Amino acid sequence: MKEAHLLLLMITRIQERRSTMKKIRVALFLFAGVFLMVSLGGISGAQTKAPYKMGVVLPLTGYLSWLGEYMKKGADLKAELLNKAGGVNGRPLELIEYDDQSSPETATRLAQRLISRDEVIALQGTGTAVISGAVSSVANKSKIPAIIQSGYALSEKETFTFNNAHRTDFAISRPMMYFQKRGITQVALLMPIGPLGELGSGVARKYAPTYNITIVGEEKFDVKAPDVTAQLAKLRTLNPQAIMAFTTGEPAALLARNMAQMAMNIPLVVSHGNATPGFLRLVAQTPGTVIVPSGKIMAPEFLAENDPTKKVIMEFAREYQTKYGEPANYYSGQQADAVSLTAEGLRVTRSDDPVKLRDAIENIKNFPGCNGVYNMSPTDHQGTRMEDMILLTIRDGKWAFLE
Amino acid sequence: MRHIQRYWWLLVLALIALYPPTLGGMSPYRSGVLIFVGIYVILAVSLDLLMGLAGLISVGHAAFFAIGAYASGILTAKYGTSPLFALLMGMLLSGGVAWAVGRPVLALKEYYLAMATLALNEIIVTLIIGLQWLTGGASGLRDIPAFSLLGFPFDNPIHYYYVVWAIVFLVVLASLGVARSPFGRTLIAIHSDETAAKTFGIDCARYKGRVYILSALYASVAGSLFAHYMGFLAPDDFSVLTSINILVMLFLGGIGTIYGPALGAIFLKLLPEFTYQFQDYELLLNGIILIVVLVFMPKGLFGILMSLKDRLIGTRAT
Amino acid sequence: MNEFSHLIQFFFSGLTTGSVYALMAVSLVIVYKVSLLICFAQGEFFVIGALTMVTLTSKGLPMPAAFVLSIILSTAVGALVERVLIRRIRDMSVGNLIVMTIAISLALRGLALLIWGKESAVSPPFTPGKPIHVLGATLQPQVLWIIGVTILVLFLIWFFFEKTKAGIAMRACAENRLGASLMGISTQKVALFAWAWGSGIGALAGMVVAPLLFIQYGSGVMPMVKGFIAMSIGGLESIAGAVITGFLLGLVESYTIGLISSQFSDTIVFTILLFVLVFKPSGLFGASRSREV
Repeated sequence: MKEAHLLLLMITRIQERRSTMKKIRVALFLFAGVFLMVSLGGISGAQTKAPYKMGVVLPLTGYLSWLGEYMKKGADLKAELLNKAGGVNGRPLELIEYDDQSSPETATRLAQRLISRDEVIALQGTGTAVISGAVSSVANKSKIPAIIQSGYALSEKETFTFNNAHRTDFAISRPMMYFQKRGITQVALLMPIGPLGELGSGVARKYAPTYNITIVGEEKFDVKAPDVTAQLAKLRTLNPQAIMAFTTGEPAALLARNMAQMAMNIPLVVSHGNATPGFLRLVAQTPGTVIVPSGKIMAPEFLAENDPTKKVIMEFAREYQTKYGEPANYYSGQQADAVSLTAEGLRVTRSDDPVKLRDAIENIKNFPGCNGVYNMSPTDHQGTRMEDMILLTIRDGKWAFLE
Repeated sequence: MRHIQRYWWLLVLALIALYPPTLGGMSPYRSGVLIFVGIYVILAVSLDLLMGLAGLISVGHAAFFAIGAYASGILTAKYGTSPLFALLMGMLLSGGVAWAVGRPVLALKEYYLAMATLALNEIIVTLIIGLQWLTGGASGLRDIPAFSLLGFPFDNPIHYYYVVWAIVFLVVLASLGVARSPFGRTLIAIHSDETAAKTFGIDCARYKGRVYILSALYASVAGSLFAHYMGFLAPDDFSVLTSINILVMLFLGGIGTIYGPALGAIFLKLLPEFTYQFQDYELLLNGIILIVVLVFMPKGLFGILMSLKDRLIGTRAT
Repeated sequence: MNEFSHLIQFFFSGLTTGSVYALMAVSLVIVYKVSLLICFAQGEFFVIGALTMVTLTSKGLPMPAAFVLSIILSTAVGALVERVLIRRIRDMSVGNLIVMTIAISLALRGLALLIWGKESAVSPPFTPGKPIHVLGATLQPQVLWIIGVTILVLFLIWFFFEKTKAGIAMRACAENRLGASLMGISTQKVALFAWAWGSGIGALAGMVVAPLLFIQYGSGVMPMVKGFIAMSIGGLESIAGAVITGFLLGLVESYTIGLISSQFSDTIVFTILLFVLVFKPSGLFGASRSREV
């Protein structure tokens, strides 16, 4: 009896030790792993001086991940094409891409990692104004040029930031010009709660008088809402002839669908962020008129022969279709332009000095890209004009050139 | 051996102080990562006072993080006040909100308290977005200057690192002090059995209110430090998701131990530095790692550390 | 358009969003009633159900078959999760369990990302058809499906928990685990069942709601949060309360948007939640300890 009792005691003791031992082992392993990764992470990164390193901050996960994919494809392809043609100054371009998870805090951390540890000479990317803000903040502090693409409005203090997206001003005034031609004067605004909505609303009100347009009313909506018919009903009482909603992706599609549901047969203008195959898929079956401002890359067949961007666009579109099996889209083209602009700056300065690179980019003139012809200057860090934008609409489930 | 037991904390302090020139390689990036870690240590420890000690579930701690951050951001960026003044104002505002909201809310139990704190978090965030003229709205607040004391700006991340960790040290010390004080012991008593505590004549509401205010004050400080380091603020970083992250740090590290949540914060903030390479797999990986830790180490990282210590050094004779 | 058509539209808008919240809240309440656990991963079952059905229908399966298969699959995933993970930590503190379900939801979301990618999916409505017009306001027919399914689920729950032996066993287990096990009820099987039920209904919610939204791997978060709010306001243990509150929540939202401000509607909703919690914490329909099924 006593022996059995002792045996039992021993076994339970051993089991206890084993489970504690197991736990300790797992913990030690995890600790060691994390510790090692953090300290060795930087050392193991190959620090060859030869390639020009560019940091790309992309929303690869989070609610903008579909956008991140387009951006990544465009940047990767352009870098590949440039490298195939011999690189820049004989040196290849290397893109180091990180996922900002659609969080400004993460984007800040990543931008710092790209600058301090990966030693990139320029930054680019960012899918939204908020991420752009975070990255721009880091770039200017570290004096590294950053070429972002979003609705982010640059301030004079941000001397190191460029924004090669079409200005929100263009994306809003271009459709307004179209309205003016068609005699549309009463426009309602349906803006998403968030930075795009704030931007869109401000810009729309600013440019409305120029095109003889009256903003009859404005409502806001939550981008995650399943239904916006309440806001639409409210706006309908004001008899608008068109609705402008500066929103991208699913919310834009929901708006179109709800408007069709309510038989509101007036044009809906959404943001230029919707010039993508993904958005087309979402609204292909929805009746109604949806107008999407876009870069010329979305309708290359309609380009005039003497259009300076035609050559760049056609070549990029062809390579993109070959490599990815889908037509090139606005966002890919935009990101590719960022790579091209940086490459051009490097070609001119032939140096590894980021400040000199910034100066070079600032002085790029008459440079054709997918988004238009860039003319940068110390006071204009965006470089494109309203004429570089076209208007698309959707007919028979496909993109159609409106004007 | 006995000396290590008694003075281990000096060792840790030395490690922290020596990190930038040694492992950190004088890299602003590495210091930057640890600045974020330090800020979240303060957040986790402050939440531990509330949840670990007093047992009050909060799924909305980021609300006070936000108040501190935006107070500092708005006052220094828009009105040019000194960062120290802004920090104190943030604390005042945070404490005020905690006092006002605490009285009715802290009487709730468990799940309802959690929902109420969640609601508060959302209210603060939606207000930040709605009051665009003041906060920059959803587009964010820009041009926040670096933290400075007596005219000396800490715009070099390596210098700021020391400021942040000095504050972390103070907060941890203070929290330990609170935990071991009569105040802290009363909170633990309330946590284990509120009815019994009441029969002893303890004014539970007052104690709960006080610890809520205290945790709000610390979170506010973390927020101010965050604002001056980021230079740019957006409401995205203060959502309920952030609150949940802090909660996870608490449980990962070992709730109620003060050191535990600090460990949890360090682990969770350093983990992405390891998993980022996995890109699309990162989300899945983070979830799995968390599950593994929760299933195999229910006492949290701190519990493991204690077992390790016991095996290596032996328990201290009382 | 008559003068009041927009007011009616507000009603329909509220009905639409409310139906989503109500169904989600019901799935959360069921899991809670039986296992006393608040499952933060419900949103992921919502997504898994919806995306599985979209995938199956796009491969050519007829909708009813896809429907049934998706439910079975999601239920299996839920059961698996319970068996492998939850069972181990059953006796942990409430906080630990909550964090565990959070971790599970992260892992499931990561899995969904890997399987279905990042693009949103368009899901066809159950019955193709034009929107319903009433006095100048319109409603999508799918909403009627959602309401119908909700009623069906309520009936099934009532039947199961009141009339079947298994259901009564589950109720007993929730009320008194020790007592139940003494009576020979396998508490482990009950827990497994509870999770399976919960994930099945979560997936059902996703499938029925999908035609209204555009579903992607991260789409589960919003319905879950709103479902939680509905559950909290309605009372943790009241299934009928969850339904009513879900619809009420949708209506309050849409009328706030319509009549007060679309900018601050969220602020107002959360403030209402706060008030309800402070002044009637057991919820509008909850009683301290009574059980309604």
